[in-house]
Amino acid sequence: MSKIINIKAAARSKAGKGAARAVRRTGMVPGVVYGDKKSPENVSFTYIALEPHVNTGRFLSTLVDLEVNGNTIRAIPRDIQFDPVKDRITHVDFLRLGKDARIAVDIQVHFKNQDASPALKSGAVLNVVSHTVSLYCPADFIPDEIVVDLTGMQINQSIHLSDVKLPDRVTSASRDDVTLCAITAQAKEEEVVADAAVSAEVPATNQKAPEAAAAAAGGKPAAGAKPAAGAKAAAPAKGAAPAAGAKAAAPAAAPKKK
Amino acid sequence: MLQPKKTKYRKAHKGRIHGKATSCNTLDFGSFGLKALEPDRITARQIEAARRALARGMKRAGRVWIRMFPDVPVSKKPAEVRMGSGKGSTEYWAARVKPGRVLFEVDGISRAIAEQALALAAAKLPIKTRFVARLGE
Repeated sequence: MSKIINIKAAARSKAGKGAARAVRRTGMVPGVVYGDKKSPENVSFTYIALEPHVNTGRFLSTLVDLEVNGNTIRAIPRDIQFDPVKDRITHVDFLRLGKDARIAVDIQVHFKNQDASPALKSGAVLNVVSHTVSLYCPADFIPDEIVVDLTGMQINQSIHLSDVKLPDRVTSASRDDVTLCAITAQAKEEEVVADAAVSAEVPATNQKAPEAAAAAAGGKPAAGAKPAAGAKAAAPAKGAAPAAGAKAAAPAAAPKKK
Repeated sequence: MLQPKKTKYRKAHKGRIHGKATSCNTLDFGSFGLKALEPDRITARQIEAARRALARGMKRAGRVWIRMFPDVPVSKKPAEVRMGSGKGSTEYWAARVKPGRVLFEVDGISRAIAEQALALAAAKLPIKTRFVARLGE
Protein backbone atom coordinates (compact mmCIF):
# COMPACT_ATOMS: atom_id res chain seq x y z
CA MET A 1 0.00 0.00 0.00
CA SER A 2 1.32 3.44 -0.87
CA LYS A 3 1.99 5.92 1.90
CA ILE A 4 -0.21 8.95 2.55
CA ILE A 5 1.23 12.34 1.67
CA ASN A 6 0.39 15.73 3.16
CA ILE A 7 -0.26 18.75 0.95
CA LYS A 8 -1.13 22.21 2.20
CA ALA A 9 -3.89 24.03 0.38
CA ALA A 10 -5.66 27.36 0.69
CA ALA A 11 -9.40 27.78 0.24
CA ARG A 12 -10.54 30.17 -2.51
CA SER A 13 -14.00 31.62 -2.80
CA LYS A 14 -14.62 32.08 -6.52
CA ALA A 15 -15.06 29.34 -9.09
CA GLY A 16 -14.77 29.51 -12.87
CA LYS A 17 -12.08 30.13 -15.43
CA GLY A 18 -11.61 33.82 -14.57
CA ALA A 19 -10.94 33.04 -10.91
CA ALA A 20 -8.72 30.08 -11.85
CA ARG A 21 -6.66 32.29 -14.17
CA ALA A 22 -6.31 34.89 -11.42
CA VAL A 23 -4.95 32.18 -9.13
CA ARG A 24 -2.49 31.04 -11.82
CA ARG A 25 -1.26 34.62 -12.26
CA THR A 26 -0.18 34.61 -8.61
CA GLY A 27 1.93 31.48 -9.24
CA MET A 28 -0.50 29.11 -7.54
CA VAL A 29 -2.31 26.09 -8.95
CA PRO A 30 -6.12 26.04 -8.73
CA GLY A 31 -7.88 22.84 -7.68
CA VAL A 32 -11.15 21.44 -6.47
CA VAL A 33 -12.15 18.86 -3.85
CA TYR A 34 -15.44 17.05 -4.37
CA GLY A 35 -17.28 13.86 -3.42
CA ASP A 36 -18.51 12.09 -0.28
CA LYS A 37 -21.95 13.71 -0.71
CA LYS A 38 -20.64 17.13 0.33
CA SER A 39 -20.50 20.35 -1.68
CA PRO A 40 -17.38 20.93 -3.77
CA GLU A 41 -14.66 23.12 -2.31
CA ASN A 42 -12.34 25.32 -4.38
CA VAL A 43 -8.73 25.28 -3.26
CA SER A 44 -5.33 26.42 -4.47
CA PHE A 45 -1.83 25.04 -4.00
CA THR A 46 1.68 26.35 -4.29
CA TYR A 47 3.40 24.90 -7.37
CA ILE A 48 6.29 23.56 -5.31
CA ALA A 49 3.93 21.63 -3.06
CA LEU A 50 2.48 19.66 -5.98
CA GLU A 51 5.25 19.19 -8.53
CA PRO A 52 7.48 16.62 -6.73
CA HIS A 53 4.49 14.36 -6.05
CA VAL A 54 3.17 14.64 -9.62
CA ASN A 55 6.58 13.83 -11.09
CA THR A 56 6.68 10.46 -9.32
CA GLY A 57 4.16 9.17 -11.89
CA ARG A 58 1.95 7.52 -9.28
CA PHE A 59 0.26 10.66 -7.95
CA LEU A 60 -3.17 9.51 -9.16
CA SER A 61 -2.95 6.37 -7.00
CA THR A 62 -1.63 8.06 -3.85
CA LEU A 63 -3.76 9.02 -0.87
CA VAL A 64 -3.45 12.66 0.16
CA ASP A 65 -4.23 14.45 3.40
CA LEU A 66 -5.18 17.96 2.32
CA GLU A 67 -4.75 20.64 4.96
CA VAL A 68 -7.25 23.35 4.10
CA ASN A 69 -7.45 26.19 6.65
CA GLY A 70 -6.71 23.91 9.59
CA ASN A 71 -9.00 21.07 8.49
CA THR A 72 -7.61 17.81 7.17
CA ILE A 73 -9.41 16.15 4.26
CA ARG A 74 -8.53 12.60 3.16
CA ALA A 75 -8.68 12.59 -0.63
CA ILE A 76 -7.24 11.02 -3.75
CA PRO A 77 -6.17 12.97 -6.88
CA ARG A 78 -8.59 12.23 -9.71
CA ASP A 79 -7.28 14.37 -12.55
CA ILE A 80 -4.30 16.60 -13.35
CA GLN A 81 -4.39 19.10 -16.19
CA PHE A 82 -1.19 20.27 -17.85
CA ASP A 83 -0.34 23.09 -20.23
CA PRO A 84 0.10 21.27 -23.56
CA VAL A 85 3.29 23.13 -24.53
CA LYS A 86 5.06 23.90 -21.24
CA ASP A 87 3.76 20.82 -19.37
CA ARG A 88 3.14 22.91 -16.25
CA ILE A 89 0.35 21.82 -13.91
CA THR A 90 -2.72 23.99 -14.50
CA HIS A 91 -5.40 22.28 -12.38
CA VAL A 92 -5.85 19.37 -9.97
CA ASP A 93 -9.05 17.50 -9.00
CA PHE A 94 -9.34 15.64 -5.70
CA LEU A 95 -11.99 13.12 -4.67
CA ARG A 96 -12.96 13.29 -1.01
CA LEU A 97 -12.92 9.83 0.55
CA GLY A 98 -15.44 8.65 3.12
CA LYS A 99 -15.05 5.83 5.57
CA ASP A 100 -14.58 2.38 3.95
CA ALA A 101 -14.71 3.87 0.48
CA ARG A 102 -13.95 1.61 -2.49
CA ILE A 103 -12.65 3.33 -5.57
CA ALA A 104 -11.44 2.60 -9.08
CA VAL A 105 -7.79 3.63 -9.46
CA ASP A 106 -5.36 3.47 -12.39
CA ILE A 107 -2.30 1.53 -11.20
CA GLN A 108 1.00 1.49 -13.08
CA VAL A 109 2.16 -1.79 -14.62
CA HIS A 110 5.85 -2.67 -14.46
CA PHE A 111 7.55 -5.48 -16.34
CA LYS A 112 10.44 -7.39 -14.76
CA ASN A 113 12.81 -10.19 -15.78
CA GLN A 114 13.06 -9.07 -19.41
CA ASP A 115 16.46 -10.76 -19.58
CA ALA A 116 14.89 -14.07 -18.60
CA SER A 117 12.69 -14.13 -21.70
CA PRO A 118 14.32 -16.10 -24.56
CA ALA A 119 12.28 -14.18 -27.13
CA LEU A 120 13.36 -10.75 -25.89
CA LYS A 121 16.96 -11.98 -25.73
CA SER A 122 16.83 -12.99 -29.38
CA GLY A 123 15.65 -9.58 -30.54
CA ALA A 124 11.87 -9.68 -30.20
CA VAL A 125 10.04 -6.55 -29.05
CA LEU A 126 8.04 -6.14 -25.85
CA ASN A 127 4.86 -4.37 -26.93
CA VAL A 128 3.38 -2.73 -23.83
CA VAL A 129 -0.35 -2.52 -24.51
CA SER A 130 -1.41 -1.08 -21.12
CA HIS A 131 0.92 1.11 -19.10
CA THR A 132 -1.78 1.34 -16.40
CA VAL A 133 -4.71 -0.84 -15.36
CA SER A 134 -7.91 0.27 -13.72
CA LEU A 135 -8.44 -1.62 -10.46
CA TYR A 136 -11.25 -1.52 -7.93
CA CYS A 137 -9.90 -1.50 -4.38
CA PRO A 138 -10.49 -0.15 -0.85
CA ALA A 139 -9.25 3.42 -0.50
CA ASP A 140 -6.89 2.45 2.31
CA PHE A 141 -5.41 -0.43 0.36
CA ILE A 142 -4.23 0.84 -3.00
CA PRO A 143 -1.43 -1.27 -4.52
CA ASP A 144 1.75 0.61 -5.47
CA GLU A 145 2.15 -1.17 -8.79
CA ILE A 146 1.31 -4.33 -10.67
CA VAL A 147 4.41 -6.33 -11.49
CA VAL A 148 4.40 -8.62 -14.52
CA ASP A 149 7.03 -11.35 -14.71
CA LEU A 150 8.30 -11.99 -18.26
CA THR A 151 10.33 -15.11 -17.44
CA GLY A 152 10.10 -17.72 -20.20
CA MET A 153 7.96 -15.60 -22.54
CA GLN A 154 8.10 -16.61 -26.22
CA ILE A 155 7.28 -14.74 -29.44
CA ASN A 156 3.54 -14.17 -30.07
CA GLN A 157 2.68 -14.75 -26.42
CA SER A 158 0.73 -12.14 -24.53
CA ILE A 159 -0.10 -11.49 -20.89
CA HIS A 160 -3.56 -10.47 -19.75
CA LEU A 161 -4.71 -9.10 -16.41
CA SER A 162 -6.23 -12.50 -15.57
CA ASP A 163 -2.72 -14.00 -15.75
CA VAL A 164 -1.50 -11.72 -12.95
CA LYS A 165 -2.24 -12.44 -9.30
CA LEU A 166 -3.90 -9.38 -7.81
CA PRO A 167 -3.67 -8.55 -4.06
CA ASP A 168 -6.57 -9.45 -1.77
CA ARG A 169 -9.67 -7.22 -1.96
CA VAL A 170 -8.45 -5.84 -5.30
CA THR A 171 -10.42 -6.59 -8.47
CA SER A 172 -10.33 -5.40 -12.05
CA ALA A 173 -12.55 -2.40 -12.78
CA SER A 174 -12.90 -3.43 -16.41
CA ARG A 175 -15.35 -6.03 -17.66
CA ASP A 176 -12.90 -7.24 -20.30
CA ASP A 177 -9.71 -9.12 -19.67
CA VAL A 178 -7.23 -6.33 -20.36
CA THR A 179 -4.14 -7.18 -22.41
CA LEU A 180 -1.05 -5.95 -20.59
CA CYS A 181 1.69 -6.79 -23.06
CA ALA A 182 2.57 -8.92 -26.06
CA ILE A 183 5.88 -10.12 -27.42
CA THR A 184 6.18 -9.61 -31.15
CA ALA A 185 8.87 -10.24 -33.72
CA GLN A 186 11.03 -7.29 -34.72
CA ALA A 187 9.13 -5.41 -37.45
CA LYS A 188 10.94 -5.12 -40.76
CA GLU A 189 11.35 -1.68 -42.22
CA GLU A 190 8.69 -1.21 -44.85
CA GLU A 191 8.76 1.42 -47.51
CA VAL A 192 5.41 3.17 -47.63
CA VAL A 193 4.38 3.19 -51.26
CA ALA A 194 2.34 6.14 -52.41
CA ASP A 195 -1.04 5.28 -53.83
CA ALA A 196 -1.00 5.55 -57.61
CA ALA A 197 -4.54 6.91 -57.83
CA VAL A 198 -3.68 10.07 -55.95
CA SER A 199 -0.13 10.53 -57.16
CA ALA A 200 -1.17 10.35 -60.83
CA GLU A 201 -1.13 14.13 -60.88
CA VAL A 202 2.27 15.49 -61.96
CA PRO A 203 3.90 17.73 -59.31
CA ALA A 204 4.32 21.36 -60.34
CA THR A 205 8.11 21.20 -60.32
CA ASN A 206 8.04 18.38 -62.89
CA GLN A 207 5.71 20.30 -65.20
CA LYS A 208 6.95 22.62 -67.94
CA ALA A 209 5.67 26.01 -68.94
CA PRO A 210 3.63 25.90 -72.19
CA GLU A 211 6.27 27.92 -74.09
CA ALA A 212 9.14 25.78 -72.88
CA ALA A 213 7.17 22.67 -73.69
CA ALA A 214 6.59 23.89 -77.25
CA ALA A 215 10.32 24.59 -77.68
CA ALA A 216 11.18 21.15 -76.44
CA ALA A 217 8.71 19.62 -78.95
CA GLY A 218 11.11 20.29 -81.85
CA GLY A 219 10.29 23.71 -83.30
CA LYS A 220 6.89 22.91 -84.75
CA PRO A 221 4.66 25.22 -82.76
CA ALA A 222 0.92 25.05 -83.05
CA ALA A 223 -1.01 27.77 -84.88
CA GLY A 224 -0.69 31.06 -82.99
CA ALA A 225 2.33 29.98 -80.99
CA LYS A 226 5.68 31.76 -81.17
CA PRO A 227 8.06 29.87 -83.46
CA ALA A 228 10.98 28.32 -81.65
CA ALA A 229 14.63 29.00 -82.53
CA GLY A 230 15.00 25.66 -84.24
CA ALA A 231 12.14 26.39 -86.64
CA LYS A 232 14.41 28.21 -89.13
CA ALA A 233 16.33 25.06 -89.90
CA ALA A 234 13.11 23.42 -90.99
CA ALA A 235 12.32 26.24 -93.46
CA PRO A 236 13.05 25.50 -97.15
CA ALA A 237 16.20 26.90 -98.80
CA LYS A 238 15.94 30.11 -100.89
CA GLY A 239 14.73 29.39 -104.42
CA ALA A 240 13.75 25.90 -103.78
CA ALA A 241 10.19 24.86 -104.37
CA PRO A 242 8.28 24.79 -101.18
CA ALA A 243 7.18 21.42 -99.97
CA ALA A 244 3.53 20.61 -99.89
CA GLY A 245 3.29 20.70 -96.14
CA ALA A 246 5.50 23.77 -95.64
CA LYS A 247 2.62 26.21 -95.49
CA ALA A 248 1.02 24.42 -92.68
CA ALA A 249 4.24 24.46 -90.68
CA ALA A 250 4.66 28.23 -91.00
CA PRO A 251 3.12 30.35 -88.27
CA ALA A 252 -0.26 31.64 -89.36
CA ALA A 253 -0.40 34.76 -87.24
CA ALA A 254 1.56 36.66 -84.63
CA PRO A 255 1.28 35.15 -81.15
CA LYS A 256 -1.24 36.78 -78.92
CA LYS A 257 0.24 37.82 -75.61
CA LYS A 258 -1.77 37.63 -72.42
CA MET B 1 6.29 8.68 -48.09
CA LEU B 2 2.97 9.07 -46.31
CA GLN B 3 -0.01 10.44 -48.20
CA PRO B 4 -3.78 9.82 -48.18
CA LYS B 5 -5.14 6.88 -50.18
CA LYS B 6 -8.00 8.96 -51.48
CA THR B 7 -9.23 12.47 -50.85
CA LYS B 8 -12.61 14.16 -51.06
CA TYR B 9 -11.14 17.26 -52.73
CA ARG B 10 -7.97 17.50 -54.82
CA LYS B 11 -6.76 20.86 -53.54
CA ALA B 12 -6.94 22.65 -50.19
CA HIS B 13 -6.87 26.25 -49.02
CA LYS B 14 -3.61 27.49 -47.58
CA GLY B 15 -5.07 28.06 -44.10
CA ARG B 16 -3.38 29.33 -40.95
CA ILE B 17 -2.29 27.42 -37.86
CA HIS B 18 -3.70 29.00 -34.71
CA GLY B 19 -3.67 27.93 -31.05
CA LYS B 20 -2.24 24.99 -29.19
CA ALA B 21 -2.83 21.27 -29.72
CA THR B 22 -5.93 20.14 -27.85
CA SER B 23 -5.51 16.49 -28.78
CA CYS B 24 -2.47 14.24 -29.26
CA ASN B 25 -0.64 16.33 -26.65
CA THR B 26 0.22 13.49 -24.24
CA LEU B 27 2.18 10.26 -24.55
CA ASP B 28 -0.46 7.64 -25.30
CA PHE B 29 1.55 4.70 -26.67
CA GLY B 30 5.25 4.83 -25.87
CA SER B 31 7.38 5.87 -22.92
CA PHE B 32 9.28 8.67 -24.69
CA GLY B 33 8.36 11.15 -27.37
CA LEU B 34 9.02 14.35 -29.25
CA LYS B 35 6.72 17.32 -28.70
CA ALA B 36 6.30 20.28 -31.07
CA LEU B 37 6.88 23.73 -29.59
CA GLU B 38 6.01 25.78 -32.69
CA PRO B 39 3.25 25.74 -35.30
CA ASP B 40 4.20 24.76 -38.84
CA ARG B 41 3.46 22.51 -41.80
CA ILE B 42 5.60 19.36 -41.78
CA THR B 43 5.95 17.74 -45.18
CA ALA B 44 5.75 14.01 -45.86
CA ARG B 45 9.37 14.13 -46.92
CA GLN B 46 10.43 15.62 -43.57
CA ILE B 47 8.38 13.04 -41.66
CA GLU B 48 10.03 10.22 -43.62
CA ALA B 49 13.52 11.68 -43.07
CA ALA B 50 12.85 12.00 -39.35
CA ARG B 51 11.47 8.45 -39.17
CA ARG B 52 14.56 7.04 -40.88
CA ALA B 53 16.89 8.99 -38.58
CA LEU B 54 14.90 7.75 -35.60
CA ALA B 55 14.98 4.09 -36.73
CA ARG B 56 18.71 4.33 -37.35
CA GLY B 57 19.31 6.05 -34.02
CA MET B 58 17.39 3.30 -32.21
CA LYS B 59 19.58 0.69 -33.94
CA ARG B 60 16.39 -1.01 -35.14
CA ALA B 61 15.30 -1.96 -31.63
CA GLY B 62 12.07 -0.91 -29.93
CA ARG B 63 9.01 0.54 -31.58
CA VAL B 64 8.04 3.86 -33.17
CA TRP B 65 4.67 5.59 -33.48
CA ILE B 66 4.19 8.48 -35.91
CA ARG B 67 1.45 10.69 -34.49
CA MET B 68 0.88 13.05 -37.40
CA PHE B 69 -0.28 12.46 -40.95
CA PRO B 70 0.35 14.62 -44.01
CA ASP B 71 -3.23 15.08 -45.20
CA VAL B 72 -3.02 18.62 -46.63
CA PRO B 73 -2.21 18.86 -50.35
CA VAL B 74 0.08 21.82 -51.02
CA SER B 75 -0.10 23.09 -54.60
CA LYS B 76 2.46 24.95 -56.68
CA LYS B 77 2.61 26.46 -60.16
CA PRO B 78 5.28 25.22 -62.59
CA ALA B 79 8.36 27.38 -63.27
CA GLU B 80 8.08 30.23 -65.82
CA VAL B 81 4.30 30.29 -65.78
CA ARG B 82 2.37 33.53 -65.80
CA MET B 83 -0.04 34.28 -62.97
CA GLY B 84 -3.67 33.28 -63.36
CA SER B 85 -5.13 30.24 -65.13
CA GLY B 86 -6.19 28.66 -61.87
CA LYS B 87 -4.51 26.91 -58.98
CA GLY B 88 -1.39 24.84 -59.59
CA SER B 89 -1.23 21.10 -59.15
CA THR B 90 -0.37 19.29 -55.92
CA GLU B 91 3.36 19.49 -55.21
CA TYR B 92 3.59 17.71 -51.85
CA TRP B 93 1.57 16.64 -48.81
CA ALA B 94 1.96 18.21 -45.39
CA ALA B 95 0.71 17.83 -41.81
CA ARG B 96 -0.44 20.93 -39.98
CA VAL B 97 1.13 20.83 -36.52
CA LYS B 98 0.17 22.98 -33.54
CA PRO B 99 2.48 23.57 -30.56
CA GLY B 100 2.07 20.88 -27.91
CA ARG B 101 1.47 18.00 -30.33
CA VAL B 102 3.40 14.80 -29.76
CA LEU B 103 4.99 14.04 -33.14
CA PHE B 104 6.76 10.74 -32.49
CA GLU B 105 6.61 8.19 -29.69
CA VAL B 106 9.07 5.39 -28.99
CA ASP B 107 9.19 2.47 -26.59
CA GLY B 108 11.30 -0.59 -25.86
CA ILE B 109 14.60 1.30 -25.57
CA SER B 110 16.50 3.01 -22.78
CA ARG B 111 16.04 6.70 -22.02
CA ALA B 112 19.58 7.54 -23.15
CA ILE B 113 19.11 5.92 -26.59
CA ALA B 114 15.63 7.46 -26.92
CA GLU B 115 17.00 10.96 -26.21
CA GLN B 116 19.79 10.48 -28.75
CA ALA B 117 17.53 9.03 -31.47
CA LEU B 118 14.81 11.65 -31.02
CA ALA B 119 17.43 14.42 -31.22
CA LEU B 120 18.51 13.02 -34.61
CA ALA B 121 14.86 12.98 -35.73
CA ALA B 122 14.29 16.51 -34.44
CA ALA B 123 17.13 17.75 -36.63
CA LYS B 124 15.10 16.74 -39.71
CA LEU B 125 12.07 18.82 -38.70
CA PRO B 126 11.47 22.52 -39.44
CA ILE B 127 10.31 23.37 -35.90
CA LYS B 128 11.63 23.48 -32.36
CA THR B 129 10.80 20.34 -30.40
CA ARG B 130 11.28 18.96 -26.91
CA PHE B 131 11.97 15.46 -25.59
CA VAL B 132 9.15 14.22 -23.36
CA ALA B 133 8.98 11.14 -21.11
CA ARG B 134 6.16 9.41 -19.30
CA LEU B 135 5.88 10.64 -15.67
CA GLY B 136 7.95 8.48 -13.37
CA GLU B 137 10.21 7.11 -16.14
